[in-house]
Amino acid sequence: MTENLEQKMKIKTKLKQLTLATAIGTQFAMSALAAEAQATNSTSAEEIAILKREIQVLEQKVDSLEQRQNQSPQSGQIEALDQKVRVLEREREIDQDAAVTATKAQPKLLLGGNGFVMSSADSNFVAQLHGVLQFDSRTFFQDGGLNGNDGFLLRRARPIFTGTVFHDFDFNFTPDFGGSTVQIVDAYLNYRNRPELQLEAGKFKSPIGLEHLVADKDLLFNERSLATDLVPNRDLGVALHGDLFGGAASYALGVFNGGTDYNGTTVNTSFQDDKSFAGRVFFQPWKKSDANVLRGLGFGVGGSYMANHPQTNSSTGLTPGYTTDGQQKFFAYNSGVNANGAGWRFSPQAYYYYGPLGLLGEYVVSDQQVASATSSADLQNTAWEVTGSWVLTGEDASYNGVTPRHPFDPRNGQWGAWQLVARFAELNVDSKAFTDGFASSAKSADGANAWSVGLNWYLNKNLRADLSFSHTEFGGFTGKAAPGTVPAQSENVLFSRVQLAF
Amino acid sequence: MKNFFKILLAASLAYSVSAKEIKLLNVSYDPTRELYTEYNAAFAKYWQAKTGDTVTVSQSHGGSGKQAQAVINGLEADVVTLALAYDIDAISQQAKLLPADWQKRLPGNSTPYTSTIVFLVRKGNPKGIKDWDDVVKKGVSVVVPNPKTSGGARWAYLAAYAYALETNHHDDAAARDFIKRLYKNVPVLDSGARGSTVTFAQRGIGDVLLAWENEAHLALKEFGADNFEIITPPLSILAEPPVAVVDKNAQRHHTTEVAAEYLNYLYSDEGQEIAAKNFYRPRNAAIAARYAANFSQVKLVNIDEEFGGWQQAQKTHFADGGVFDQIFQP
Repeated sequence: MTENLEQKMKIKTKLKQLTLATAIGTQFAMSALAAEAQATNSTSAEEIAILKREIQVLEQKVDSLEQRQNQSPQSGQIEALDQKVRVLEREREIDQDAAVTATKAQPKLLLGGNGFVMSSADSNFVAQLHGVLQFDSRTFFQDGGLNGNDGFLLRRARPIFTGTVFHDFDFNFTPDFGGSTVQIVDAYLNYRNRPELQLEAGKFKSPIGLEHLVADKDLLFNERSLATDLVPNRDLGVALHGDLFGGAASYALGVFNGGTDYNGTTVNTSFQDDKSFAGRVFFQPWKKSDANVLRGLGFGVGGSYMANHPQTNSSTGLTPGYTTDGQQKFFAYNSGVNANGAGWRFSPQAYYYYGPLGLLGEYVVSDQQVASATSSADLQNTAWEVTGSWVLTGEDASYNGVTPRHPFDPRNGQWGAWQLVARFAELNVDSKAFTDGFASSAKSADGANAWSVGLNWYLNKNLRADLSFSHTEFGGFTGKAAPGTVPAQSENVLFSRVQLAF
Repeated sequence: MKNFFKILLAASLAYSVSAKEIKLLNVSYDPTRELYTEYNAAFAKYWQAKTGDTVTVSQSHGGSGKQAQAVINGLEADVVTLALAYDIDAISQQAKLLPADWQKRLPGNSTPYTSTIVFLVRKGNPKGIKDWDDVVKKGVSVVVPNPKTSGGARWAYLAAYAYALETNHHDDAAARDFIKRLYKNVPVLDSGARGSTVTFAQRGIGDVLLAWENEAHLALKEFGADNFEIITPPLSILAEPPVAVVDKNAQRHHTTEVAAEYLNYLYSDEGQEIAAKNFYRPRNAAIAARYAANFSQVKLVNIDEEFGGWQQAQKTHFADGGVFDQIFQP
């Protein structure tokens, strides 16, 4: 093959030389003719015609040589070989394209700050593993000799399995190994017909309280405020929900078993005839606006209604008790008091985020008809809270947490993000609870207010360390300041937390 | 407080009636890139003038069969503009994304333009290729995509088959032998028409490319009329590349109305003009007459009459174990 190519090259070179010689010869001839013509001042048409003929003859010779070259057996072989090489190269190209296409069709496996993600090539099937691990400490001061409240605790230890099947069906399964009991926190399916129309079924957060709906990993303090004491925790039910106008408004409306006011321990079954309706609308009208000042404003209202809460043997339908920031019970109904009749909640709520500043507040009314063996009443408990935050390092504050601009890396002088937080909250129990004998002021306070301050350190997107202090005062308690009585004195507690979330 | 709610209501209404930004995905076959690039711009202009909304159409191109399979597998096309009806039937039957009678929804079997298969040869036609008989001669190297993945290749196959039937008194065995000889001359199978054009025109492989008529003209424009020439055989096939809204995807994206209009507008004078300029044979007779010089006279066989329709043709020739599998040995 190499010899053939060399031979072909030689022929081509000869042809070029011949053509070049012809052209040069012609040029010289023409120049000479012109010079002579100038000298004699006459033109010899015959000589020009002769030269033209000679050029034609030379051109014919070139054409003939070219034809011979094309018709030679070696030339045919070379072209055939050339085609084979081209075909092989093209096949290789096609194979490479096919390999790239095949790679695109392969499932994807991602590992990063958002957890482990496995996805089919078309993203119609997705499985994700996330997790939240919170290791806390609580240290009480001047607690009147209360025992057993200081210590370290695994507040939350949750592997979170989420994903999508057949493109439109999402799922979430979240057990919690933190605390003293293992429980299923979330277990639900969500059908996304479109962003505006989704249907969720299973066990998930009741759509009422603004602070309650903050993701556990994004809480500003170790514990939610007194206001969340009046909204239900996770409940079993079905809810329609969605985002409207590109997220400028959102809604959720569902039917649930009907949870009591906040109870840290949730159940997976609850058999009762009546159901509770819960819903929430929330607006962020300027979410996509150019007006920076208004973009972070959101407001809405949540609520629930249950026409006739039945008394059952298994449940009183009332809270097991309202707790402080330090998770100590300061109010409980007397034994034998049950929910008996209609109950409703109403919670106007709002937040505002502007640059590193954040403000979140809500008001909650929880109204419930109750009965004891001797009397009945309609009790209306209320609570409210305001939380402010300021990211000292300048990152944006948001309802969904803070992402440090410069993750912790002391070797390069980067320290993550730091945030100051402060909160005030208050809860008031209906006075009729005490005057009508549904609760005892000797055992419970009729209200509490608490202020808290804290410093949160976001090392990076996944790691966080918090330190906060909370002071709670109680009202209406008439019991003795005996050891073991929570509302007998103010609560002062120092919290710390290290958190891994991915 | 009342004023506050008035402002809120006004803001919400203003938001809801403001101009929308709409996105459409058109999943098409290989050689329509240039057609839809031009058409999408025209349609966007038309739609904005009509509704005030901005519509952006994304295009996806590839072998028609592969594209259909991608939609079946979840590629969320709002509309499909494929090479042949069978591929849209497959989307309807396998993924249930549009009704079975989709082809009745628009005029001309939902085919706003037609085309045919021609030969693209090297300048001077050194192998003297004039008709299908020349393509199967020994020593002629033929470039054509894989009919398993390419719609254009299936049309080309059927055009050759129709010719063989006609010249052999409808002797199916003779036709199979003819088609076997044809594919024996094919050195490399691309997955789509554009790939085959690259093989022939850019990589310099083969003596003749069996090409969509529009693709052949495009090759002349792209790679130079001094390098190639188009040979129209006396007999070829009437290729009808259909279009359809993928109902369920469009519903999910809230694009049903704009998607339907996107296809309807292909039948408008402007749509037909753009098709003709891109060397597709327009349905509109007046516009077809204006561009008659672009299209050679050729006897066109009809797939329904010659092969019993696409379902039958697919089953007989291109399904696993069909005639193509029997005659082609890679």
